[in-house]
Amino acid sequence: MKKILCMAIALMLALTAIGALAETTDLPRNETLYFAGQQWGSVNSWNIIGTNQNNSMTIAGNSGGYRTLMFETLYMYNFMNGELVGLLANDDYAWNDDMTALTLTIKDAAKWSDGTDVTGADVARTFDIGVQVGNNVGTGFKSYISSIEADGKKITINAAVNADGQPVNPLKVLDFLTGAPIAQAAWIDTVVERNNNDTVSILNDPGEDVVWSGPYTKFYADDQKVVLVRDDNYWGQDASMWGKLPVPKYIAHAIYADNPAGENALKAGEVDVCQQFIGNVQNLWLEDGLPISTYYEEAPYGVCLTMPTAWYNFNLPVLAENPALRKAIAMAVDYDTIIANAMTNQSPSFADVPRSLMNPTEGEQALYNHEEVADLQWAGMDIDGANALLDEAGLVDSDGDGFREYNGEKISLNACCPNGWTDWQASMEVVAAAGKNIGIEITTLYPEWDIYQTVFTNPNQTEYAIYMWSPDAAAPSNPWQRVNQFMGSEFVGVENNWSGNWGQYLNEEADALIKKIPVTTDTEELKKLYTELTKIYLTDVPSFSLMYRPSLFHAVNESVWTNFPTGDDGRNIPPADCTDGYGIAALYDLELVEG
Amino acid sequence: MKGYRKYFGKKLAWFLITLVVAVILNFVLPRLMPADPVSAITGKMAQGMTDASAVQEIYKRYEEEFGTNKPMIEQFFIFVKNLFRGDLGTSFSQYPRKVSDIISSAIGWTIALQFPAIIVGWLLGNLLGALAAYIRKGFDKVLLPIALFLSNVPAFGMAVTLLVLFAVNLKIAPIGGGYAFDMIPNFSWRFIQSVIAHYQLPFWSIVLVSIGGQAVGMRSMSIYELNADYVKYARFLGIKDHKIVGYVFRNAMLPQVTGLALSIGTMIGGALVAEIIFSYPGLGSTMYSAVTAADYPLISATTLIITIMVLIVTFVLDIVYGFIDPRVKAAQFDA
Repeated sequence: MKKILCMAIALMLALTAIGALAETTDLPRNETLYFAGQQWGSVNSWNIIGTNQNNSMTIAGNSGGYRTLMFETLYMYNFMNGELVGLLANDDYAWNDDMTALTLTIKDAAKWSDGTDVTGADVARTFDIGVQVGNNVGTGFKSYISSIEADGKKITINAAVNADGQPVNPLKVLDFLTGAPIAQAAWIDTVVERNNNDTVSILNDPGEDVVWSGPYTKFYADDQKVVLVRDDNYWGQDASMWGKLPVPKYIAHAIYADNPAGENALKAGEVDVCQQFIGNVQNLWLEDGLPISTYYEEAPYGVCLTMPTAWYNFNLPVLAENPALRKAIAMAVDYDTIIANAMTNQSPSFADVPRSLMNPTEGEQALYNHEEVADLQWAGMDIDGANALLDEAGLVDSDGDGFREYNGEKISLNACCPNGWTDWQASMEVVAAAGKNIGIEITTLYPEWDIYQTVFTNPNQTEYAIYMWSPDAAAPSNPWQRVNQFMGSEFVGVENNWSGNWGQYLNEEADALIKKIPVTTDTEELKKLYTELTKIYLTDVPSFSLMYRPSLFHAVNESVWTNFPTGDDGRNIPPADCTDGYGIAALYDLELVEG
Repeated sequence: MKGYRKYFGKKLAWFLITLVVAVILNFVLPRLMPADPVSAITGKMAQGMTDASAVQEIYKRYEEEFGTNKPMIEQFFIFVKNLFRGDLGTSFSQYPRKVSDIISSAIGWTIALQFPAIIVGWLLGNLLGALAAYIRKGFDKVLLPIALFLSNVPAFGMAVTLLVLFAVNLKIAPIGGGYAFDMIPNFSWRFIQSVIAHYQLPFWSIVLVSIGGQAVGMRSMSIYELNADYVKYARFLGIKDHKIVGYVFRNAMLPQVTGLALSIGTMIGGALVAEIIFSYPGLGSTMYSAVTAADYPLISATTLIITIMVLIVTFVLDIVYGFIDPRVKAAQFDA
């Protein structure tokens, strides 16, 4: 019996191994840079003009900039200073006077992996096919770009114009420069042809034969990992770009089941770069003595670009009709506790960076007049102020049950976020506690994610009263985009609203100001507009941010690789995990610990 | 034989009825969740898009492609039609991957982990239970209580404890995955070693929690049988002890066989905790992620596999029981 059992086990293992059999070698540790927190689930396809590839290491755009390991954008965004750094294109982009056309040129050295030149025609074809099949590039930019004309290496991007002949939104045209990965026109033609020009087939093409322009390409992918290998013919080693190849030969990302698994791997030195929130990250080096570090040595350890926010549901009359109630709750919340507990101090406090519509970066903070709005700001735990505001508004407890009433009914609200999002759940508990302090009943509710996302994107929902979601973080179109998300009316009533204004707040005055920003270039005028909008936001309180938060986390283990970017090294490389936007510059400077 | 054919036919009819009901439930229940998976996909695709009408366009396209805009009854018939062709549909959460592709790449790992673990846990448990009943002494006073204590540790608690103890603190076992983080699958001794090393913790986390339950069942059955009249009579007749023990354990074994069969039938669900905690590839974690993403086709497919496995196992048990236990056969044939 024992023998049979042993044989059965051995057979099972052998079968599993054979099942996973593929061509191969191991990955030398000192040539491989390991990641965690970017890729969840196995890769679906390599089709750069398709959709939903779940190929996060090569096809992913986020607020840190586009991930340009395999496919490249025209420019790289640097959220540390808001600069657009030329990648496929030279640094010479220029608007015409009325901002209806943007011209730029492709770098002479820029080449595809098959050795052919990257040209303007590739950019134009990328946009056109996007519009034709409705992929992210097409759907995301066709409202702002009417056409792209190519003349050899020269490109003219024509902005879409409104009835008055004004560009719809020049800021979104800039987003195209940093957010649209360029595909090769010849390869696009091949894909279109083999799929008989059928939209769904084109989008679902696995793209195994894709042509790329970036420094890495696919090497291996299964249910447990994805590995990229350096393309030693990469054009970027030309002096007009990086002047050298990126240091790691392989980029590998094991697919972890959840955050704790990725964190354990980081601690064990199996991960070099970790894009995950790690509570009390400083303990990893202070207490555990591990060679782990973050972008800044001191709190908040990273660069906060976004603000997880509690949105008030304007479908509920008690919230829509009582700005005093909205402001009172926001004033009573103990933000320091949220920042200390939920974020383990990986966020500046609202005393350090007073609340507005801006993230804490210097660039955005300079965009509004701090003095003009100082009286409207609050740092939290102002129970007396909140109670006074409610009393003044006539929201009082007349039946003596300890809770205030509106129109004769007890004010009873819920505070919601997805179950398992522990930092957000901790925040909602603090909001509920604030309610108790000011005589407002607030109960917490944590639905599962799939239910939560269905409800909060429904513009008519009345199930959640106060609920969390984060506005946009950083991109050339920010902070405009974020302000629009906070107050823009274009999202009101939109089904499956993933775009913004999740509370359905309407304010015509704010709308008019928001529309002016994209076509305003004068810095002083911009500052005025943003200051006005901040005043409206802090007075009406359609939502309130609970903390500042990095949009990307960036913890590195320096047991194998070192010389990762830090806040004080003078290189100005953003903490974007060595992969996103200008953050990829870090890959060219990495060094081995045991060189 | 005629009686047996009738019995077999009746069982088969019930098997088919249950299967039809199970298929309907597998289809309907996930779709009753108040969640919209198309919205989740849209959210993923629409990141950074500010144009609300563009997001709407994406939503409509996926709705059309997945057919979620059709009435549920129509969706059901499409599902059944595809099922007959062996097409389990396209996953929502891992779109455009086929469900059959996801399952085929995961099922080998789950079977390789669960099957031996269930068998080993069952064998060790029964052995311990039998020894505790027959020999008593140390087995009954020390080993059995330890096994019971271990089996009362929840599966996730056991898995986390083993992970923290052996992988994080002692560093003598890998922290997760099916093979080493710096390897690419290949048919080499080094790779097989790595697979075996990664196999240990999830394997033992399942075995340890199952021993106690099996042992306690076996122990009670054995004690009951040891005191049965036929044992006393056999002793009285002077039949040798080891021969009697053979009879005793054969009889005590029957309910344990049912338990074993059912554990094999439900192995996918059982794999869930170990697979998630050890980032071990397999159907358990696939099912978990499908449920959290409201991925109907994937949920339906994984639950269908469980249903069919349980049905087959119980069906086979019913049939086999008729052969191995004359009492059961007699009762069933009479009925």
